[in-house]
Amino acid sequence: MKKIAAIVLLLSGFYLSSTAQLYFTKNGSVSFFSSTPMEDIKAGNNQVISIINTSTGEIQFSLLNNAFHFKKALMEEHFNDDYMESAKYPKSTFKGTISNLKDINLGKDGVYNITVSGNLNIHGVTRAVSVPGKLTVKGGAISANSTFTIKPKDHHISIPAAVKNNIAETVELTVNCNYEKKN
Amino acid sequence: MSKKKIVLISAIVLVGAAALTAYMMWNKPHKDVKDTDGLQIAAAELYNLYISDSVKARSLYSDKIVQVTGEVAKVSANQLNQQVVLIKTTVAGAYINCTMEETDAAAKEGSTITIKGICSGYISGDADMGLPGDVFIVRGYSFTK
Repeated sequence: MKKIAAIVLLLSGFYLSSTAQLYFTKNGSVSFFSSTPMEDIKAGNNQVISIINTSTGEIQFSLLNNAFHFKKALMEEHFNDDYMESAKYPKSTFKGTISNLKDINLGKDGVYNITVSGNLNIHGVTRAVSVPGKLTVKGGAISANSTFTIKPKDHHISIPAAVKNNIAETVELTVNCNYEKKN
Repeated sequence: MSKKKIVLISAIVLVGAAALTAYMMWNKPHKDVKDTDGLQIAAAELYNLYISDSVKARSLYSDKIVQVTGEVAKVSANQLNQQVVLIKTTVAGAYINCTMEETDAAAKEGSTITIKGICSGYISGDADMGLPGDVFIVRGYSFTK
């Protein structure tokens, strides 16, 4: 009888440890902002899929480049046709982990500073990045946000000489996602 | 009229035309979705094509105005307070994910809906984590009768 109880307890332990706690969104937000003396350029994308595994710290983002919306239709056209080449490189992705997962207590409401490290793929070029962010826990729900910078040239995005002064060498990306728990 | 005057006036007209063209291009409006016919397709058919033949699906539907019909799974709002309508497909947890340009107050879970918008394409989820992807529609308008 004791042996059976021990086996049941052991198997329960294995089950609990292998049950991932997954949170996801399919309408997260990523926006970017470029500022030069010539002009400010900004665009937003609200069709971002993101998943967090709170057991392992794995975190992923995926978006379609042609879903970035600009106020000016011509800017949007140039962004897709000339800079991102969205027909050739339809998606941008990030896969990584929350480096300081142990600092987060999902059972306690609060705003937790996090560091996210992983691979950022834009325009077909992958770069390792490590960026700061915040994970907010409130009433069982979680949200994540982060603002960091990237250089278009690091992802082989060519800026024609004619508009070189209109687009900043460093562009600011802002990520904002509200997650729901996956059943 | 002297030759010089003709040349001068012609130059002014040409420069003016070029400036006007540049101004109109710079300020050209976004694609008109509401008053343009869309490619009609059922939600399940659109989703199944993207997951079975993504090349064909992209050539037929990505960046095109589509008119998708199906059953509403969920209605919510995104961070910009735009209505988001999820239309069911044949895959559990996978949807035609429509961000609306105009809110449809009649859209409710279980109702049949037709939404016209621009198809951005398909983003896969994560098979290991059991999350299927969605096909995304932006600038959606409801045309449910």
